Amino acid sequence: MSKIMIIEDDEVLSLELKELLTLNGYEVELVKDFKNTIEAILNYNPDLLLLDINIPYLNGEVILQNLRKKSNVPVIMVTSRNTDMDEALSISLGADDYITKPYNPNILLLRINAILKRVNRISNIINYKTLIINTQNGTIKNQDKEIILTKNEMIIFAYLLNNKDKIVKRDELMTSLWNNEEFINDNALTVNISRLRSKLSKLGYNNIIETRKGQGYIIS
Amino acid sequence: MNLKDYLKDKLINILILLLSYFIVLMLLIAFKVKISLIFVITFIFLITNILLIMEDYYKKKKFYNNILNNINKLDKAYLVLETINKPEFYEGKIVYQILYEINKSMCENVNLIEEQLLDFKDYIEMWIHEVKRPLASLSLTLSNKNKLLDIKTKAILKNLEDYLEQVLYYVRCENAASDFFIKEVDLGNIIKNVGIRNMDDLLNNKVDFKVEKINVKVYTDSKWLEFILNQIINNSIKYKKGKNSYIKIYALDNPDTIKLIIEDNGIGIPKSDIKEVFKKTFTGENGRIVPSATGMGLYIAKNLCSKLGHKIEIESVYQEYTKVSITFAKNKFYDVLK
Repeated sequence: MSKIMIIEDDEVLSLELKELLTLNGYEVELVKDFKNTIEAILNYNPDLLLLDINIPYLNGEVILQNLRKKSNVPVIMVTSRNTDMDEALSISLGADDYITKPYNPNILLLRINAILKRVNRISNIINYKTLIINTQNGTIKNQDKEIILTKNEMIIFAYLLNNKDKIVKRDELMTSLWNNEEFINDNALTVNISRLRSKLSKLGYNNIIETRKGQGYIIS
Repeated sequence: MNLKDYLKDKLINILILLLSYFIVLMLLIAFKVKISLIFVITFIFLITNILLIMEDYYKKKKFYNNILNNINKLDKAYLVLETINKPEFYEGKIVYQILYEINKSMCENVNLIEEQLLDFKDYIEMWIHEVKRPLASLSLTLSNKNKLLDIKTKAILKNLEDYLEQVLYYVRCENAASDFFIKEVDLGNIIKNVGIRNMDDLLNNKVDFKVEKINVKVYTDSKWLEFILNQIINNSIKYKKGKNSYIKIYALDNPDTIKLIIEDNGIGIPKSDIKEVFKKTFTGENGRIVPSATGMGLYIAKNLCSKLGHKIEIESVYQEYTKVSITFAKNKFYDVLK
């Protein structure tokens, strides 16, 4: 379980963020005392840091600058300052990503996931029961058979697998697709899912993608 | 300043001089002074008076014409005082002093207003950043509480965000000191961001978002460009027409320019309105159909484009399509540096 630390002085926002991230399987710690932020970060040793710029005592940029002397932990700046100048400054100080408020929760999760994946060098191979899924070249292998998924089908399947045992909403899948520059519409998503299902059934896995009416899809 | 008008102005002085001359002349004749002496006196009288008038005329002409000429040459007329020498004659000194006082007071006033404007701009920027916090909390709270945030709530949140952003960019585009930051950015990435931002709106309104593979880089401020594209896409959604609506986005790679085209098959813009769409608060024919038209979106977009050095154009056939294009210059200079 990846550990994420949130440095945000707006209490409501930080609690909601914590809830969102906890629901999505992260271990979350909030910084409450902004006097010793850097010590708190180093003590907790998170896998990823969400850092606001406008915080008491030292602002986020200064914290980032000081932190970089001691640690290489991935940092996402989360801020309401939305100019390229601020973004460039943060990146030059060593931030890994920059997200402006108010953000789309799905996008925030995707960006967090992308950074963790890059840092942890998570491989492109996912194992599910007897299946070996290669997200890179879009293939699914069984003991004897191999089938090829289209880019869209693979994005959907990989997203469902990464969120195993959790109901995945349609708009989460949609965001993930659009984030990969596949700007498809609702009908196309339905079609893609049914194609994915029929391809999976060829490998002997019928109904592994369950539909939860009015909620979304789930792989368990 | 010309002689004719000057003399007209001095008419009374000249008449008094002539009158005194005639009185002297009468006296001279009455005392039976020799005719040759009368001639000499007349001659001296004429010469001295013409010289006096001329001296006065040229002195003033030099001063006033200098001011007038310089005013015409300057684009900021109020700086004229800096371009002239302090005059030597009494009347000129008074004028100079008056100009100086007026100028000083105006500069103070302008500075004050500029300061107030800048303060206001800073305040608005700060306020918008502050307001984005509760907005972010609100959207997170809603999505945490209610796993399936309903379409209406999402649309309201998005609306709120868009209007806030519009104020922010209005302040930015109206201000001389604009804080944009030009760098090389990936156009495809910007379109992706704008697409995701409008994803719910596009899907709910059943508007297909067709993006051709755009693999070009342009020099721009990415946040500003995202705002501009957001306005255009919002309009396309707002003014869609019936079924099979789409927005098509593609880029043309010309030798000197890159042209980004956003095309929709919406209700279009009437011919009589097309020239006006970039004007402030213009809503036109279509504004009457959609009540939420503010007439600010395209105005701000145009303004931002001209600051960034891009060209924005619009082309439309009523009831058929609208095509907005943004032209980016390719900068050979930067290519050489690379």
